[in-house]
Amino acid sequence: MNHAEKAEVFNKDEAKVNWHDKALWYVREKRDTSAHKVQGWEYLRELGSSIKANVLSNLDEYLIQFETNAKKNGVHVHWASNAEEHNNIINSILEKHQAKKVVKSKSMLTEECHLNPFLEKKGIEVIDTDLGERIVQLAEEPPSHIVLPAIHKTKEEVDVLFQEHLNTKPSQGNPEYLVSEARKHLRDKFLKADVAITGVNFAIANTGGFVVCTNEGNADMGVHLSKVHIACMGIEKIIPQEKHLGVFLRLLARSATGQPITTYSSHFNKPDDGKEMHIVIVDNGRTEQLSREDFRASLHCIRCGACMNTCPIYRRSGGHSYDYAIPGPIGSILSPGKDMKKHSSLPFASTLCGSCSNVCPVKINIHEQLYKWRQVIVKEQKQPVVKKSILKVAGVVLSKPSLYGLAGKSARFALKHFPRFMIYNKLNAWGKARDLPEVKNENFDEWYKKRNKNG
Amino acid sequence: MNGIKKEIKMGREAILQSIKKNKPDLLPLPQINEKAFDEDINLLEVFKNNIALVGGSIKEIETKAIDAEIKTLYPNATQIANTSAKTSLGSIKISKNTDPHSLEHIDLAIVEGELGVSENGAIWVTAYNSIVRALPFITNDLVIILEKDKICLHMLQAYSLIDKRERDFGVFISGPSKTADIEQCLVVGAHGAMSLTVLLV
Amino acid sequence: MKVGLFIPCYINQLYPQVGIATLELLEKLGVDVYYPQGQTCCGQPLGNSGYEDDSKGACQVFVENFKAYDYIVGPSGSCIYHVKHHFDILEQTPEVKRVRNNAYELCEFIVKILGKTDIGASFPYKVGLHKSCHGLRGLKLGSCSEVMGEHFSTEEDLLNEVKGLQLMPLNRKDECCGFGGTFSVFEEAISVKMGKDRIKDHLDSDVQVITGADHSCLMHLEGLINRNKQPLKVMHIAEILNSSL
Ligand code: SF4
Repeated sequence: MNHAEKAEVFNKDEAKVNWHDKALWYVREKRDTSAHKVQGWEYLRELGSSIKANVLSNLDEYLIQFETNAKKNGVHVHWASNAEEHNNIINSILEKHQAKKVVKSKSMLTEECHLNPFLEKKGIEVIDTDLGERIVQLAEEPPSHIVLPAIHKTKEEVDVLFQEHLNTKPSQGNPEYLVSEARKHLRDKFLKADVAITGVNFAIANTGGFVVCTNEGNADMGVHLSKVHIACMGIEKIIPQEKHLGVFLRLLARSATGQPITTYSSHFNKPDDGKEMHIVIVDNGRTEQLSREDFRASLHCIRCGACMNTCPIYRRSGGHSYDYAIPGPIGSILSPGKDMKKHSSLPFASTLCGSCSNVCPVKINIHEQLYKWRQVIVKEQKQPVVKKSILKVAGVVLSKPSLYGLAGKSARFALKHFPRFMIYNKLNAWGKARDLPEVKNENFDEWYKKRNKNG
Repeated sequence: MNGIKKEIKMGREAILQSIKKNKPDLLPLPQINEKAFDEDINLLEVFKNNIALVGGSIKEIETKAIDAEIKTLYPNATQIANTSAKTSLGSIKISKNTDPHSLEHIDLAIVEGELGVSENGAIWVTAYNSIVRALPFITNDLVIILEKDKICLHMLQAYSLIDKRERDFGVFISGPSKTADIEQCLVVGAHGAMSLTVLLV
Repeated sequence: MKVGLFIPCYINQLYPQVGIATLELLEKLGVDVYYPQGQTCCGQPLGNSGYEDDSKGACQVFVENFKAYDYIVGPSGSCIYHVKHHFDILEQTPEVKRVRNNAYELCEFIVKILGKTDIGASFPYKVGLHKSCHGLRGLKLGSCSEVMGEHFSTEEDLLNEVKGLQLMPLNRKDECCGFGGTFSVFEEAISVKMGKDRIKDHLDSDVQVITGADHSCLMHLEGLINRNKQPLKVMHIAEILNSSL
């Protein structure tokens, strides 16, 4: 199913759509309020964007610098060209430590690499410890949002899920109770874990350190209680200097949830005594995206989720309708670069309203990239015959004023004389829920000519 | 293990080569004009408001009143781990060699913060302050003692203030742990500390 | 100052009254307006569908039609946005550049170029303003709710001067209506839902007449309103500014 079809299914339950829309709009409003409080917000975005642009233009040097510094700090650095290499590297570290139990905090990259099923097949227990991620893990679903993975679930649904998996009592979806049960359940997992896997929000070239941001404290609970810490990062997570965190940490949480900063911004530089720290640096299609001039700025993304919260389509179609690890507007410009055939409907799942580009803390021109992907997709992917021929013909007609005069007349003629049931047939997507405009007796051209004659 | 090593090496070279080939011409790193963020505000007041906003509580007291204050605030806390010299409280000895797993049932941890940031209520706590990295997270309740002349305006200032440090582990803590993952309902007390009290001295 | 009147294809065919109001309004303001014959379309529907290359002919026709004018004015923000933004597919001859630079959406032309906000209209109704995304975020006719800074709005400046008109504040003041050109048919379910939600906001805010500077959004909203027999009237802002009720 393409996006439109999945969205249509999601829209069968209008009350749920309203609920979903409202929940995310609320987050968008919190973001607005929070950003309003920052003196120089737009300048801060400007900085975020130009620092990232510099990063991409000097990425290899920064990565080498990062690696050198991290190694000096006693950190093991690994490089993975693709998901398979990434998963194998992690597996080899686990094997070396005979690790059977892994706790993992949020990392969209491991989601992208399908790490969990890979490790599970090898008999390793992988527990997602971010509450939202744990919820979708128990439900055996992918996250539907990068910051709020379980935003599509009502509290009643979570209640039922927890009863089934965590033996909780029915609570009519009492969030306090459910969180406290999850805390107990996951605490046990933290205490028993051999290895902790985390994502990386920012990796700093000039220090070799990296920062992980959470609200729940799950990354730290995992890392500080296990022997080995593996941090996975896409190559684009690099920033040049530690002071640049002063720009990005000001932007990230405010854009994401409207908080002034996440509860914990943890700065990892050296492993604790007697422990191991590994960093896996992953390409998996990113250098290819880097080669595409029109689309490379998509690599600025700091995964705040703001473009999802503001997107009127995302809010009304749900994250799963995108069928990609990263949904919403940013997912729609990243995914065609990974698999154009599979994701060819995503750049069309937008009205190009531009709200995403306005909220994006690193000023990615998301809606312009959506427009550009459309041009690429039409050229490279097979298009539905009807759509294609209509638009091709339109191109010819519109370039010839004389032909156009005729076509316009016949369109109006059809609107005026065909009975409603003809126009509102199954193929007429316009007419399913909307009336067509009432047809006037003359068009503007005709009126104008008449007026000039009379005048 | 040898096979893996080789593969990793290949990954590195392949990635770096590919970047070299695909990256755009060098773009300048922007100068940051910190003046653009200047604000004439009462740092202490804004800091206090932000601590409240992120779900913490904050109190200005004298150093000698800390013990009594904590006892009133946490009358039932028996397992107390303290790493600050500003208070004599503490029932559990803690050292670099303490197994963090043994801290599972701590009621209260008391640590010092090095720096507060007024724009977001975040406090910089390092491994030096907490001795055991897990301490501020695994404890049920957390008290951070902070000197009130150590509050700066925003994160850019904060990073220049902590620039010269021993870099091993440090964390900005802003409030108690929390989640809104169930229907956007904010619940305080996720995996980390259930509450945060900041004592300004 | 010679002004070329640009009447977008769908307005020409389906909403001649909007074209008429625009022309009358400009004439009332003392502008020397011409309506070049042989206009087709700015090419936007093709570009937005991914067929930008096929739209070059239409874009070229547009430039030919309007190259002789000091300003090109049209009652449709999204078409003007397309001319300004997406005519980069043509070779940038001086003519193309001139046309792109001098193309103005009607409201912006009145406020910025003519320097007028009060044009002596009266319209005693409660009005809700639909800010089209291409006008707002594309042409920057006003401040957007996502962007931090001073509030401003070209359309509001004009409507606030209309006698008797009460501009009603909306709950979501600049959310997209869901038209989006071919999006309206290829993503039918979401498009309809977005439109319904916009209409509900206007109804909840006690609006009698929805207006805006982009009739394509209004066509979509009107289609829903008529189908669902809702107590709302839809009028282009040119029609309101040209009223003396
Ligand atoms: S594209 Fe921008 S707004 Fe969207 S998640 Fe990335 S950083 Fe945030």
